[in-house]
Amino acid sequence: MDGMAGGFGGDGGAPSGGDPANADGGPASAFVFEGTWREFAPIAFTNLLLTIVTLGIYRFWATTRERQYLWSRSRFIDEHLEWTGLGKELFFGFLMVAVLFGIPVLVLQFVVEALMIQGYPGLGAALMVAMVLTIFYLSGVARYRALRYRLGRTHWRGIRGGSYDPGFRYGLSYMWKYAVGYLAMGLMVPWAMVSLWNERWGHMSFGQLRFSGQADFSPVMKRYLLFYLAPLILLIVGFLAIGAVALGIGAAGEFDRKELAWGALGGLIAIGFVAFYLLWGLAYLFFYAKYLRVVIGEMRLGDDISFGFSATTKDWFRLILGDVGLVLVTLGVGWIFLSYRHWKFFITYVEAYGVIDPDALMQSDTPMAKHGEGLLDAFDMGAI
Amino acid sequence: MAKVCWTRSIWVRSSFVAEMVEAEWYDGLTARKRTGHASLSGSVLLLREDDGTQTALPLQDLRFVERRPEGPVLSLNDNRGFRLRLLGTIPPDLAERLPGESRYGHWIDRLGLPKAAALFAGISAVALAAVLTLPNWLGPLIPQSWERRAGDAVIGDMGNTLCHSEFGDPALKQLAAAIDPERPVTRVDIANIDMVNAVALPGGRVVVFDGLVQEAESADELAGVIAHEIGHVRERHVMQALLRQFGLSILLGGINSDVGSGIFGIASTSYTRSAEREADEYARERLAAADISPLGAAAFFERLKKEHGDGPDWAAWVASHPVPSERQKQFERAAQKGADYRPALSEQDFGALKTMCDEDEDVEEFYF
Repeated sequence: MDGMAGGFGGDGGAPSGGDPANADGGPASAFVFEGTWREFAPIAFTNLLLTIVTLGIYRFWATTRERQYLWSRSRFIDEHLEWTGLGKELFFGFLMVAVLFGIPVLVLQFVVEALMIQGYPGLGAALMVAMVLTIFYLSGVARYRALRYRLGRTHWRGIRGGSYDPGFRYGLSYMWKYAVGYLAMGLMVPWAMVSLWNERWGHMSFGQLRFSGQADFSPVMKRYLLFYLAPLILLIVGFLAIGAVALGIGAAGEFDRKELAWGALGGLIAIGFVAFYLLWGLAYLFFYAKYLRVVIGEMRLGDDISFGFSATTKDWFRLILGDVGLVLVTLGVGWIFLSYRHWKFFITYVEAYGVIDPDALMQSDTPMAKHGEGLLDAFDMGAI
Repeated sequence: MAKVCWTRSIWVRSSFVAEMVEAEWYDGLTARKRTGHASLSGSVLLLREDDGTQTALPLQDLRFVERRPEGPVLSLNDNRGFRLRLLGTIPPDLAERLPGESRYGHWIDRLGLPKAAALFAGISAVALAAVLTLPNWLGPLIPQSWERRAGDAVIGDMGNTLCHSEFGDPALKQLAAAIDPERPVTRVDIANIDMVNAVALPGGRVVVFDGLVQEAESADELAGVIAHEIGHVRERHVMQALLRQFGLSILLGGINSDVGSGIFGIASTSYTRSAEREADEYARERLAAADISPLGAAAFFERLKKEHGDGPDWAAWVASHPVPSERQKQFERAAQKGADYRPALSEQDFGALKTMCDEDEDVEEFYF
């Protein structure tokens, strides 16, 4: 029989599909990306063209074509992933959200404006708060459903993923956990992020196997605190530096080019301002890199498969620097390659360990939503 | 799944020997890979597994997925997990019956990319043009009474911020009647808002902010501003702008919001400018007819230009008032030498407008 019940990812047994002789360089990865940007370019450029001439309507089909390519060039052990979603699913998802959500919000905004102008600010504000809360709730549901849709349309060896849960309860969890996270002066946000990740994936499955996430938030707290306190630290350092320079100029007594010196100080402050945001962003990246390593590292599929994610802050930094460089150098056109870069990054650094028996992996019987990621799309969280 | 039937049978050599092609597939039920051969048999594709298991797939159920260097990949319409890869050269009779390749989507594939792109571009251009120009025709067709009712429903008395006084109300009426004697339905109000601005609102209403009234140094200046706003009302600019905005937001709803609002802004600005010109022309005509000097308006627009900031957000959906210096010059040019201009209002009436909001004890402050 063709059955392949081997270990992979270097966790006992010979890695199937990989090169067993690859011992010195570490075990072969279970996930390999085999695409090239030259193959991707014709897809990206024709997508851009068609999206422009259709005033954006083609973007749903564009996304589908992109994913078909990216998935088909991503190998898991011995077989490539396959994206089986359709453009019209994403389009209908978008239409549904536009009708069920977009139009009511538009009307409500009109009503709120009218209430404000007519002198009922209290009622207007109450409506506004209700609207914001609804959007908050739906953005949680959207995140969940997008993941469910993506798993449901991702096939490997003919098997797909999915979830039995439509995600409406997850939306409530999302609300209260983030509310607690922010109310505790933002200090519990990592807890909210980690526990929501676990909750989300805990409802997902692939074939008949359930995913589970057991990550604990404490390993990411140190880095989160650094990010949290970074503005304060940076401000103190900045003020000390400016103060020192200003004192220096003041103490230097009378000299001809004093104005020049003050001008230079202004320049320094401007540079400091930019540096502040760069360093703060870097602190977040430092946290986020760890966060993803932790949450993915504690994920399992069934009893026998576990996952890992090895991208360090430096890897993330290089990815983002590359993104920015690409977009700047190409005057914005490089933007169409970002999805390719991000997917490649993800597949390159994600890892799986364990044993899988293809004969025993059965098709998922989770319900399949007929529409795509409309909600997520509406809230602009479509980026992978 | 019903159309895939699995039958364990012995391969019977028939008199008709179809050419076979090597194949591997997943059945969409388990992750087990099947290998064997595929061949055409009437209107079905026969898959024969190496162990003899045979599967018949109706050709019309096959769906093209992608072309790989080693051969085409196919799926089934009602079983997305099913994957069939044909490896090597495909016999011509089979190749003919396989579903056509799809790359961009059905319609585009049928037309070819260049033609389809040109067609789409044409349709988009027509749609954009329609959305931008149709409101100019449709706007005036919408009954004034509808617009008025809708405007009143939304705006009402603006949260009791409209000022009234014993002498101010008749003075304001007199000024409006002088400028637009045929259309007494146009309502002109002064609102207790400390901002140098005036707006034309849905429902044929003109609201002058008190900040502007205080800024005006003569009744002629005020008359110019009010004439301009009445011009927006008479030309149905507010309705046109509302319709255009509605059409654009639907048409560009598919685009990423940043790009969309960029196009949106560019597309509507040119129309705003032409609307401003029309309102100005109307104002000059009416001022001349009412024997009011346009120099007041010119002087005022000059000051407004210097002090005018961005209006409040909710004013964005009504006609806005950029004040280019060109407008000021046009008002200056409209002044006729030797014309017998008379003041738009007496000093006393103008004074009543200036103190209108102070005297109204019920009126409320407007907060944004």
